[in-house]
Amino acid sequence: MDTETSERLRTGQREATLEARGLRKSYAGGFEAVKGIDFRVYEGECFGFLGPNGAGKTSTMRMIYGGAEPTGGELTVVGLDIRRDERNVKRRIGVVPQENNLDEDLTVRENLLVYARYFDLPRKLAQARADELLEFVQLTDKRGAEVEQLSGGMKRRLLIARALVNDPDLVVLDEPTTGLDPQARHLVWEKLRELTGRGKTLALTTHYMEEAARLCDRLVIMEGGKVVSEGSPRSLIEQHVSPQVLEFRADRGSLDRLLPVVEETADAVENREEEVLVYTAAADALLEKVEASGIPIEHTVRRQAGLEDVFLRLTGRSLTD
Amino acid sequence: MKGRIRLPSPRGTFRVWQRNATIFRKFWKTALGPNLFEPLLYLAALGLGLGAFIQEEGIQGQSYPQYIAPGLLASNAMFAASFESTFNTFVKLKIDRVYEAVITTPVNAEDVVAGEYLWAGTRAALYGTGFLAVLTALGFIFSPDALLVSSFWALLIPPLLLLVGVMFSVMGTLFTSLIGRIDLYAYYFTLVVTPLFLFSGIFFPVDDFPAPIPQIAWFTPLYHAVNACRELASGPSIGVLVDVGWMVVFTAALALVPIYFMRRRLIS
Repeated sequence: MDTETSERLRTGQREATLEARGLRKSYAGGFEAVKGIDFRVYEGECFGFLGPNGAGKTSTMRMIYGGAEPTGGELTVVGLDIRRDERNVKRRIGVVPQENNLDEDLTVRENLLVYARYFDLPRKLAQARADELLEFVQLTDKRGAEVEQLSGGMKRRLLIARALVNDPDLVVLDEPTTGLDPQARHLVWEKLRELTGRGKTLALTTHYMEEAARLCDRLVIMEGGKVVSEGSPRSLIEQHVSPQVLEFRADRGSLDRLLPVVEETADAVENREEEVLVYTAAADALLEKVEASGIPIEHTVRRQAGLEDVFLRLTGRSLTD
Repeated sequence: MKGRIRLPSPRGTFRVWQRNATIFRKFWKTALGPNLFEPLLYLAALGLGLGAFIQEEGIQGQSYPQYIAPGLLASNAMFAASFESTFNTFVKLKIDRVYEAVITTPVNAEDVVAGEYLWAGTRAALYGTGFLAVLTALGFIFSPDALLVSSFWALLIPPLLLLVGVMFSVMGTLFTSLIGRIDLYAYYFTLVVTPLFLFSGIFFPVDDFPAPIPQIAWFTPLYHAVNACRELASGPSIGVLVDVGWMVVFTAALALVPIYFMRRRLIS
C-alpha cells in the first residue's frame, strides 16, 4: 500500500474542517497573491502551508479568518461559507497572527478576559478558561503583568492562549515561531503538539522546514501564489527526492568537473553557485566514484533528504531566499 | 461584497465600548483632572478677565461668564470626542493594531467603528457631567444672583453631550479613516476643530453678524451643540429641538461613511 492510499484511507472518513477550491486573492493595483489554490484540512490534523515569503501564505490565512476577502473561488471554514457566514466562522476559529497584536492597555490576564467577551463567553467561564490557558502556556506567574513586560516568546504564547479562549474548532497560526529564539521556538512547538494531541485542528504557515516536518501531518508547498505539491512530509520527500543527499562544496572549476561524474549515477543533481547537491539512493557508491575521480572537494556533507530538498527540487529556489 | 455598506450589530458595538470602558476604569482619575481644569481656565481668563470689559448688561441678558459657560460644556465634549476619534483611534488602528485583533473575533469592523463612536460619546458625557457639576457649584458659591447653571433642564445636558460626542467622533473617525500619517491631524485640528471652537457662538453671538455669517454658522455642528447647551442651562425654548434635530440628522447621515472606509482599511 503506497502512502497516498493510506493517507486517503486515514483521512477519508473525516470531516473537512477547512476547504478551498480555486481560491484566489488579488489586491487593489492588480497584484495577484493567491492564484487559484485547492486544499482540504481534515478534523484533528495539523496542516501546514510551507513556502518562502511572498508565496501567498499570509493572504491565504487572512482569507480564512476574515482579514481579507477572496476575489475568486470557494472557501469553506468549519463547514461554513466564509462569504456568507463570516461572523459564525469567526466564532468558531482561533487566530494567532504573524505579528503581535495583544492589547497593550490590558494586563496578561485581562487580554484573555476582554477577548473572551468578544465571543460572548459568560464571565465565570471566561475566568476559568483564562486561568487554565495561562497555566497551559506557562504564564500563570505573569497573569498581572503588563503586556510590554513580556519577552517575545511569552507574547507569542499569550497569543496562542488568546486564540484558544473560545475553544475553537480550528486554530489558524501565521508563522507561529518567526522571530523567536530556539528555546522559545521549542516551547511553542511543544504547546502546538499538545494541542494536536488533544485533537485540535491546526492550520499554520511557516518558512521553516523543520517546523513543518515536526508539526504537520500534511502540508502544501506554495510558491508564487500556487500550490506546487501536497502530501505528508514523508510522502513529499519520497515522491520528489531520493532518500540521501550529498553536498559537495568546492571552487567553481572543480564543481564543473564534478558534474559529469555524478550526473551518470545520481537520481538528481542540483547545481548551485557554491555547491552541488546530489540526490541518490546509493550514496556510498557515488562517494567512492567522486573520490576515484580525484577532483578536489573542500567539503562533503552526507545527510537524509528533507523538505528543503523537496522545495528546492520543485521550485529551484531555497525556502529562505 | 466589498462595496456593500454593513450595519453594525448592537452586541459587537457594545463589546468594543466595553473594552474601552474596562481600560478607562483604570485611569479615569488621572484623565478627568485636565479635562475639568482646561474649561475652567477659559472660564477664568475669558469669563472673568475679558468679561470685566463687557458692559453691565452682558450678552442677551446674561453675565459674560453665564453666557460662555454652557458653550464651554459643548466645546469640551467636542475636544474629548475629537481626541478619542483621532489620536486614540489612530493608535488602535495603526500602532497597537487592536482592531486587527478584534475583527478576527465575532466582532466585525463595522462594530468596532460604532463602538468607538459610542465610547467617544460616553467619554464626552462623563467629562461633561463632571464639568457641569463644577459649573453649578461655582455659580452657587460665587454668583448666586446670576447662576452659571440655572435650570433643572440642565439635567439633560449629559445625554445631549453624548450626542455631541458621537457627532464629533463620526467626524474625527472619518478623517482618521482617510489618513495614513498621524501628523496630518494638525490639519484637522487647525482647520476644523479650532475654527469651530472660535466661531460657533461660545464667546460672542454669531447670530448678530451680517449675512452670510449666521447662515454659515447654521451649517456647522458645534453651533447647534452650543445653542442646545445654552438653552438647557438656563431653561430651553422650543428652538432647542431644531438644534438637537440638526445634530441627529447630521450624525446619522455621516455615520456610515467612516464605517465604509475603516472596513476597507481593516479588511483587504
